[in-house]
Formats: sequence, C-alpha cells, structure tokens
Amino acid sequence: MRRKSRVGLLASTLALVASTCVMGMPAIAGASGQTPLNLDNEQGELWPCAFTPFNGFDAMFSVGTIYETLDFVNALQNSKVTPWLATAYAWSNNNKTLTFTIRSGVKWTDGTPFSAADVAYTFNLLKKYPALDLNAVWSVLSSVKQSGSNKVVFDFSKSAVPYFYYVADQVPIVPEHIWSKIKNPVTDPIAKPVGTGGYELASCTPQNIKWTANPNYWQKGLPVVKTLNMPAFLSNNTANEYLAQGSSAYGAQFIPNIKSYFVAKKAGNGYWFPPVANVSLFPNLKSGPTADVAVREAISYGLNRAAISKIGEYGYEPPASQTGVVAPTFKAWSSSSATALAGKGYDPAKAISVLKADGYKMGSDGFFSKNGKELSLTVITNGGYSDWVADMQVVSQQLAKVGIKVTVDGAAASNFTTDVLNGQFQLAYDVETGGPSPFYEMRQWLYSKNSAAIGSPAPSNWERFSSPAVDALLNQYGSTTSSATQHSIIDKLQTIMVQQLPVIPVLEEVDWFQYNSDEYSGFPSATNPYAQPGLYNVPDWGVVVLHLKPKK
Amino acid sequence: MRFLARRLGFLLIALWAAMTVNFLIPRLMPGNPAEAMMGRLRGHINPASLKALEVAFGINTHQSLISSYFAYLNNCVHLNFGISLLDFPEPVSHVIAQALPWSLGLVGVSTILGFLIGTMLGAVAAWRRGGALDSVLPPVFIVISAFPYFFLGLLFIWFFGLTLGWFPILGGYTETATPSLTLGFIWNIIDHSILPAFTILITSIGGWILTMRNNMITVVAEDYVKMGRAKGLKPRRILWQYAGRNALLPNLTGFAMSLGFVISGAILVEYVFNYPGLGFLLLQAVENEDFPLMQALFLLITVAVLVAIFIADIATSLLDPRTRTTS
Repeated sequence: MRRKSRVGLLASTLALVASTCVMGMPAIAGASGQTPLNLDNEQGELWPCAFTPFNGFDAMFSVGTIYETLDFVNALQNSKVTPWLATAYAWSNNNKTLTFTIRSGVKWTDGTPFSAADVAYTFNLLKKYPALDLNAVWSVLSSVKQSGSNKVVFDFSKSAVPYFYYVADQVPIVPEHIWSKIKNPVTDPIAKPVGTGGYELASCTPQNIKWTANPNYWQKGLPVVKTLNMPAFLSNNTANEYLAQGSSAYGAQFIPNIKSYFVAKKAGNGYWFPPVANVSLFPNLKSGPTADVAVREAISYGLNRAAISKIGEYGYEPPASQTGVVAPTFKAWSSSSATALAGKGYDPAKAISVLKADGYKMGSDGFFSKNGKELSLTVITNGGYSDWVADMQVVSQQLAKVGIKVTVDGAAASNFTTDVLNGQFQLAYDVETGGPSPFYEMRQWLYSKNSAAIGSPAPSNWERFSSPAVDALLNQYGSTTSSATQHSIIDKLQTIMVQQLPVIPVLEEVDWFQYNSDEYSGFPSATNPYAQPGLYNVPDWGVVVLHLKPKK
Repeated sequence: MRFLARRLGFLLIALWAAMTVNFLIPRLMPGNPAEAMMGRLRGHINPASLKALEVAFGINTHQSLISSYFAYLNNCVHLNFGISLLDFPEPVSHVIAQALPWSLGLVGVSTILGFLIGTMLGAVAAWRRGGALDSVLPPVFIVISAFPYFFLGLLFIWFFGLTLGWFPILGGYTETATPSLTLGFIWNIIDHSILPAFTILITSIGGWILTMRNNMITVVAEDYVKMGRAKGLKPRRILWQYAGRNALLPNLTGFAMSLGFVISGAILVEYVFNYPGLGFLLLQAVENEDFPLMQALFLLITVAVLVAIFIADIATSLLDPRTRTTS
C-alpha cells in the first residue's frame, strides 16, 4: 500500500503548518535499558493482532521477524541468494527437482528443535489449504517430501526455475508441532506466534505491536536492537508527524517536501527510495482506440516522463523506460538494442507523425480523429492516491499537446481495483508487484495465462495481452538456469515491449524509506542495498532490523 | 400496556427492515472483498494471491441470495457475525469489542456532557431573555457548531498539541505504553481524550443550546408558569421543575437518537486524532468491502438508535400523559 493523504488539501496544508512546530515525545526505555526502535509504517488502520504469516496483510508483522524463510533473495542485488533456514539448494532432473539442505541447530522460540520435517509440513499445509498458498506455489509443484534427516525435495510438474523465489523467499516456515494442532489454519487467529526468527512477539494491541529479541536466535549475537515497536497510524499525516518529530528512526512513508519536512529537522535524517517496479499505463488491447498499436506508440512518445515525475511525485519516483526494465535496480538486464529502438522517449513530433501515418486527422479543436471519431480516452486511477491523480493530470495535459484527449477518472480504491482486474477500462494507471528480476514483472504483464476475458477478473496481465511467441519465451525462461539464455530472453521481451507497447511504463515505483543514521548504523543504502527497506517488504525488513546497531 | 406492545411491535418491524436493508446494500456494491484486498496490497503481494484470497473469503461459493439471507438472519439472532475480512481472520465480534469502549468513552461522554451543558445554558439563556448570556451564547455557538469536526480538531492539534504542547496529538493512549489498570495508564487515556472530546463537545453544544432556549421561551409564556410565579414560588424552582422539565420533552428524542449514534463513533474526529474507535473502523469496513464487519456495525448502530428511541418514547409517555392517549 502506498501511503498518501486522503484527508484532502486543507488537512495536509494544516498539517504542514502544524509540522513546523516540533514536540518532544518521552522515550520509554525497554527492559534491557536500550531505547526501543519505533517503526513508522502507516497502513491506514489499527493492527488486527492476527499473526498468520500466510495472510497477505498480516504477513508484514511476522514474516522475516518472527517466521523465517528458506533463503533470502534480494531484489536489489540481482536476486542474490543468502542462505537462511536452508544452507544450500540444488536443481536437478532438468530443473524439475529442487533439493534444499536444511540448517541444523535452529530452535523454535518455544525450545523445540526446528527440522526438515517442519519445512515439508509447511508446504504440504499450503497444498491442503489453497487459501494459504498466496504465491500459488502448488500451481507448479507436484510434491514436497523430506529426504533423510536434513533434506527436503521439491518436485515440480514442469521446470519452474523462477519459482525458486516464491518457494525459498516468500513462504515462511511454521512449526509442525504447533500448527498441526490448529483446527482451521485459515480462519483461526494466531495470537501467539512461534517462529525461528530474531524476534518474538512481546505484546500486541490495536495501537501498537511490540517485538523483543529472541535470546536463543541461531545467528549468534543478533539481533542487537532488543525491542521494536510499530504503532498503528490511521492517516499519513499523523505518521509523518511522528517521524518528523523524531519519535521514529525507521520509516516507510510517503512524505511531501521531504527535505524541509523531514531531513532538515534532525541531524542524521535521510531517505532512500530504491525503484523496484513500474507504475504504468495499461491500455485495453481488446477494444477501443488503444487496441491500435499506433495509438499506444503515440501515447508513449507523447509522455514527458521526467516532467510527470517532477510535478506529480516530487521527483521521488524516477521516469521509467518503455523497455520495462527498472533502472538502476536491474540495469544489468537492460538491452542496448531495445533501448536504442525506444529512442529518446519523449518525442511529440514523432507522436503526431505516427498518428497521421495511421490515418488520424487533426481537427480544428487540436484533437485527432479517425472516421469521424475523436481520439478521446479515459484513464482510470486510484482516487485515493493523490499523487497518481496528479500524474494523470499531467499526462492529460501532455497528451493534449499531441492531439490525444485524455479524461482522468480517479475512482474509489475498491471500484478501481475491480475495474482494473476485470478489464473495464480504456487506459488504467496502476502498478504490478514485480520480483527480484525484470522477468517477474514481465511475466505478470505479458503471460497470457495470467489474463482472463473482459468482464472476469485477471490477477495480472490486465491489458489482456496474448502472444504465443511471448508465452513460449516466458516458459523457456522458466526452464533454464543459464544466465546467458535468461538475458537473451529478457532482451527479446524488451524489444517486444518497445515494438508492441502492450504496457506503457511511466514512472518507477519505489520503496518508501526514511532513517536516522545518527541513532542507528547499518541501514541499507544505494551503496549497500542488502535488502528492500520498506516496512511492508517481507522478509526484507526483518533482515534490515538484524543489521541495525544503536549508536548511543 | 397496549401502548408498550405497540411500541415494541414497531421496534421489531423496524429492526427486521433494517437488517434486510443491511444485508442487501453491501451486496449491491461493485467488486468483492478479495479484489479490494488485492487493491489494498497492490505491489506487495503476488498477483496469484487472488485465488487464495477468494478461497479464504468464501467468494464464488455459489450460495443463492435467498439461502445466504436466511443464514444471515439466523447468524444475527445468534450474534454470530463471522470473520472480519479486513482484519482476517479475526472474528468480527472481537474487532468491534476492541474499538467499542473507545467510542463509547469518548463520544458517549462528550455527547452526554454536550446535552447537559447545552440544555442548561439554553434554559438559563431563555429564562433571562435578552440578558448577557442570551445575547452572546446562541450566536457564538451557531458559528462554532457550523465548523466541521475535523477542521476544529486540526486547529486544536496545531494550537494545543504542537504550539503549546499541552496535550498529546494522537492515539487513545501513548502508543508504545502497555495497557494496564493503573492510575498512570488511566490518566494517560484521559489525557489523550481531552482534545478530541473537547472538539466534539463544543461543536455539538450549540444545537442543544438553541433548541432548549427556543422551547423554553414558549413554555415560559404558558399559564402554569405564570401561575407558579403568582403563587410566589422560587424562580429557581419554576425554572427547572416547571418550565425546564416540559421544555426538555421535545429534546429527549433528539438526545436519544444522538446517543444511539454514539455507537457509530465520530469518523472524522477519530481519523484526525488517530483514535482507535468504531467510526474509523466503519469507514475502513466500507472501503475494503468487509461485508461481515459492515453488517455487524450497521446492525449495532440500528439497534442502538432503535432502542434509544424506544426508551425515549417510554420516558416521554411517563413524563407526558398526553402521548399515551390513542385517539
């Protein structure tokens, strides 16, 4: 969830005025005498205090901190794998079998030893309860079995190398001796989570979650920070205020005017917004003018992405490339030929000539039309995100200059999502989840099996792109561990992105991250991007807190 | 007795109608909770989760509208509201139980205080018509009660919270404190409630002052008040026991209704002050298409308002025999 103000202009203005005055909050020392680290993560609601790690929302409170995964896969370092609960993994049988060696000497926080049986149990639990299988790992798995004392063998129904990320990094391992006694793991709330992680749950109220360090953690000497608090914030303004007044040293907030509002307030305050995916225009490929590739090309050439970033996003979200590869995060994957093909990006003269060549005629009002129909498009966006609405207003002005009329429709969040999923739009401005390499976002965008007919919900591929050649490329990527082959496939996909424009990336989606480096050392940074910093990124933020050390 | 039975019958019919509307309206909203959850977690969970969420939330189970309606009525009677989808998998009853005391405490106390103070000021203002109180209070409070809650709230946060630093600016208590039954913690709660309560109080007081004053002016002109004066009763006795009591009657129903609406919290005040009450929960439930939570909250509000009106009706009939006659 992105964090944007919904109170409106008046409220944010007042809050900005209010923020110029700083109020001290009493620091409450933890049991160890060390000041707790308060985490600032506005989700617009009070905490549910349900610690089911297989729940899309609740996962952020336990995965990485309390429950751990087999490996840690870092999206910011080109899918670098750090062994975690598994010490090693190996592909065999034509990349259809994956074997993990499980770490020994790890204990659950209740003292019971952790073993390979817990790993096999966890994955078979997801098979039994599809409602827990958030990453649909059982769409490609055929069996998960323990082998010997410390190995777990995963058999896939087809070679599915990219699923390593979901299996190893996204599925938290739970204790069999506790979960096997839970009557319904989908609906029974987990009030007292038992995991292997660096932290245990100390207390939870709707207003705050408190974690304390696991004294018997398997990574000796860690964690250094003994107590974590995560207060619940209902609005962006209150959460930003909490950060600005110095009550928190680690935030994941969208803050307007961050330099004066936050950075200037206190020595050591800083921010870093690493890009991870693309916020894109999704054109409806099945009907209307956007089914015509020339129109999509004209839109892409008509966008001054740098200006959209500056006006709509305070420059926090960098301009995206039509190749679909997020830079600098995945720059190693960028294809030079596709980049050359995309040209300089913003080129209004070319946008106009493309439309003219396609048979469009400029009318006296400055807008193109074809066969008597004006080139007029409606773009839907999430009305709850004020920045997205601003982005689209800039887009509307820019495209008017190349003769395309764009009307912005900022719908309520749930209506917007429903329309996007069901393909009920001409243009939609939205973001995909992505993953630790460009492949994941491209597969979400382009794989025809992700899509659905207009009117039924498609989890991804909302624009309804369908190409057997692209499907074949994506399948081929899934069956190889060769980096050279993977790169050549991503190169081809980038060319398709530039030539067919199934999706038009506009800006790069970033992780929101603020820190105070005078109070703690060890935060991730552009030079040491060891994990994604957002407090909603799992298991990443659990890895970040293990790296932190108080300076005072 | 007949009066009571009729009122009770009306209460039950109104309750059934409200429950039915409550069942139907959320289902007319576009989209479903799984899609809303995908939207809420956009960019942070695998798009493939849509299937898992639909299974977890029991969507597309092909239960007919009629059968789910009767299942719903049955569950309502047994106070079984199901599982919240917003706070999945917490039971709705638990989610509400956590927020209810905060709204009852904050909104309840400030509504009652607002009514008592407003009524008293209104009565006194009317008693001394044209006096200092009467010429100052009504216009001032008309202006103040026209302010939206949240605007006043933000002003107070800025002035009393940030500029002067007298009061905490957010939460029901210091967010990292552990709740306990100690004096220190209770004071912490009171300290945090002063600003939001004051906001509600001074915006709601104006209405009571004005209606009470206007009622009083009519009542004071009645013969029995003149009679009281002629008998040489103390002015204070006439003010409260003769005039005040009767002038209060029309306001009772209004007060009962506002008490009923205490359950719905004060959405904007809770939002601005980050207060853990029911109002914000209701907003969240609607935004996230959390049908079970929405239904339980609406039902709670309906029942509270109906019961409050029922009690007000009974109270009015006790205080004023004229309302009991059937013709």
